[in-house]
Amino acid sequence: MRDKLYPRVRFSAIFFCHGLERMKKRTLLLLRFVLILATILVMTYSQRGLNIASPGYVVALLYLLSNMMVYFIPETRLSYLYVTFGIFLIDVVAISLAIYFTQGMQTDFYLIYFLIIFIASVGQDIRGSIPIAIVASVLYGWLLYRANPDTSIMDPAILIRVPFLFIVALISSYWSASMRRELKSKKELEEFAHKLEQEVERITTKETELRRYSETVINSVASGVIAVNGDGTITTINPEAARVLGGKQEDFTDTKIKMIKGLDNLWQKMKEAIESDKPLERLQISITNAHSKTIPIGLSVSPLTSSDTKFTGCVAILRDLSEVKGLEEKLKHAERLSYLGKMASWIAHEIRNPLTVIDGFAQLLTNTKDKDKVSTFNAEIHKGIKRINHIIEDILTFARTKTQVKHDELNLHDLLQQITENINNVKISIKGDENPIINGEEESLKSLFLNIINNSIDAMENDPKLVINIRKTKEWIITDIVDNGKGISKDNLKNLFTPFFTTKSRGTGLGLAIVKKIVDDHNGKLEVESEEGEGTTCRVHLPKKK
Amino acid sequence: MKKRILVCDDEEPIRLLLNESLQDSYEVVEASNGREALRLATKEQFDLIIMDIKMPDGHGLEAIERIRERNGTVPIIICSAYRAMEDDIVVKTSNVAAFITKPIDIKALKTKIFNLIGA
Repeated sequence: MRDKLYPRVRFSAIFFCHGLERMKKRTLLLLRFVLILATILVMTYSQRGLNIASPGYVVALLYLLSNMMVYFIPETRLSYLYVTFGIFLIDVVAISLAIYFTQGMQTDFYLIYFLIIFIASVGQDIRGSIPIAIVASVLYGWLLYRANPDTSIMDPAILIRVPFLFIVALISSYWSASMRRELKSKKELEEFAHKLEQEVERITTKETELRRYSETVINSVASGVIAVNGDGTITTINPEAARVLGGKQEDFTDTKIKMIKGLDNLWQKMKEAIESDKPLERLQISITNAHSKTIPIGLSVSPLTSSDTKFTGCVAILRDLSEVKGLEEKLKHAERLSYLGKMASWIAHEIRNPLTVIDGFAQLLTNTKDKDKVSTFNAEIHKGIKRINHIIEDILTFARTKTQVKHDELNLHDLLQQITENINNVKISIKGDENPIINGEEESLKSLFLNIINNSIDAMENDPKLVINIRKTKEWIITDIVDNGKGISKDNLKNLFTPFFTTKSRGTGLGLAIVKKIVDDHNGKLEVESEEGEGTTCRVHLPKKK
Repeated sequence: MKKRILVCDDEEPIRLLLNESLQDSYEVVEASNGREALRLATKEQFDLIIMDIKMPDGHGLEAIERIRERNGTVPIIICSAYRAMEDDIVVKTSNVAAFITKPIDIKALKTKIFNLIGA
C-alpha cells in the first residue's frame, strides 16, 4: 500500500536528493562524471580545441583525477557540508579554468554552471546553491572580462545570465527542499506506520498471551468455574465444570444456561446473585447433568463487579459433592453398624443379667421347699422380668420414629409436680411460672423429665438439692433443672446424647438419648451446662401452646 | 470345715442366686465390686473366686491381675454376659480356671467347682 503511494516521486527523489545528510556517493560521482563530459565537450568545440599537453588538457585531466579522489572519500564524510561544498567549488573553478585555457567563451559553456548549481542545490539546498551561484557569477564575469576587457556590467550576457544563475539556484533549491520534505514526511509516515504496526502486533501478542494465561489459570482450577453474562449466556467454563455438567467446554460456551436442561437450580442462584448484586456462598444444590445423573454440588456465586457496565453477570465456583456425599453415607452406615454392634452387646449384657437371675432362681425353685425362700425366689424372678420389660420399653422408645401420638394441652408445672411427688430422698423445689401451657404427649414428657431428674439425683451425693425453674419467652416454655451434683466432664459432655454411652455401672446408656429424642419429637431444644464439682443445669425448651 | 468361695458381681440378685445355689456345700462371701473383692482376697483365705466381668472393656480384669499378684494359686472362675470375650480373657489372664457365661447352668457350675476344689 505504502509502496504504491508515490512510486514515481520515490524513484526520482532517491536518485536526485537522497538527502542532505547523506548524498549518495554513487550519485555524486555520476553527476560529476556528466559534468566532466560536458566540460570536455565544451573544450573540444572551443576556439583552441582540446590539444594534448595544453593547459586546458591538464585541467581536464586534474578534474577527472578529482573525481577519482571523491571516489575514495568515505561515504560518511560526504554528509559534511564543507566537504561537498569543496567538491562543488572545485567543479566551478575547474570548468572556469578549462574555459579560460581553451578560450571557449563563444560556446554555451555557461550552461554547465546551471548544472553545477542544480547539483549543489540537490546536495545541499540553498546553503550550497547560492554560494556556488555567487562563485560561478564572479568567475563568469571574470572570464567575460578576460575575453573582452571592454565588457560592460550592463552587457546583456551578464545582465541576463547572472540573475538566471541565482534564479536556478533558488528554484532548484526550493524544488529539492520540497522534494526532500515530502520524502522526509513520507519516510516519517512510513516509520510511523511501521511502528504502529509493530505496536499493534505487540499488543495483540500480549493480549493473546494474557488471554491464554487467564484461560490456563481458570482451566487449572480444581473446582468448576462458570461465568455468565447478564442474560445467562455462558462466557467461560473450565474443564472441571464441563465435566460436572457432563460435556465438553465447547458444548456449553455461548449457550444460555437456562436453556440447558437440569440446570434450573444453578441459574436460579446465579440470577439471585446478579439481581441482588451480592455473593452467595457455600450453598448446596443439586443439578441434573447431561447424562441425566443428579449431582449434589457445593456452590458459591459472585456477581461480576466492574466499574465498566459492559461486564455484567456472575461467576460460579462449584464442587462436585457426589464423592463427599458418598463418603458421608458410608460414614452414616458405619455409625449405624457401630450403634448396632454396641446395641447388640448392650442387649446381651442388659438382658442376660436378669435372664440369669430368672433362669437361676427357676432352677433353684425345683429343689426348694422352704416357703420363705420360694417367695423370695419368685420375687426375684418377677423383678428380673420387670427389668427386661423396662429395657424393651427403652429400646422401643428410642427406636420409635417421630411420635405420632396426639398432642394434648398440658400444664408443665402440674406435670412436674406430679412426677416429683413420689421422690422423697431429695429435696425438690419447683419455681417460676405456674401456668406454662404446652402441647405435648403426656407419657413422653413424663419420661423426659423423669430421666433428667433421675440423672440429677444419681449425680448428687452430699446435701442433694434440686431446683426446677420454669419461665416463658415469646415462643418457648423454658425449664431449667439445676442440681448440685458432681457435674459432667468435658469429654463425657460430648457423648451425653450418644445412645448406649453410660458412665453408670447400671445405666442402660439410653436415658439421655431418649430425652433428646422426646425433645426433638416436640420440636424443642435441649441444652446442658455443667461444671465438674459444681453441678449441672439441664435446660429444656418446649414450644408454647399455639 | 466348708471350703470358702468369694463371689464378686455388681448385681445384687446374681450374688443372691450364687449364694443360694452354693451355700449348702460351701461358705460363700459376697463382694459387690472389684475393689472390695481385692480387699477381701488379700485379707482372707479363699479356695475359689467367682468374678463377674461386666463391660466389654474388661472391667474386673484388673482386679483378677491384682489378686493373682497376691495369691498365685487360687482358682478363679470368670462369669460374664459376653460369650465373645472368652478367648480374649483366657489368653490375657494367666491361670483362669474356667469361664462361664450368663445365664448360668447351676448344675454345671457346681460340677465345675467340685472338680476344681472338691466339696
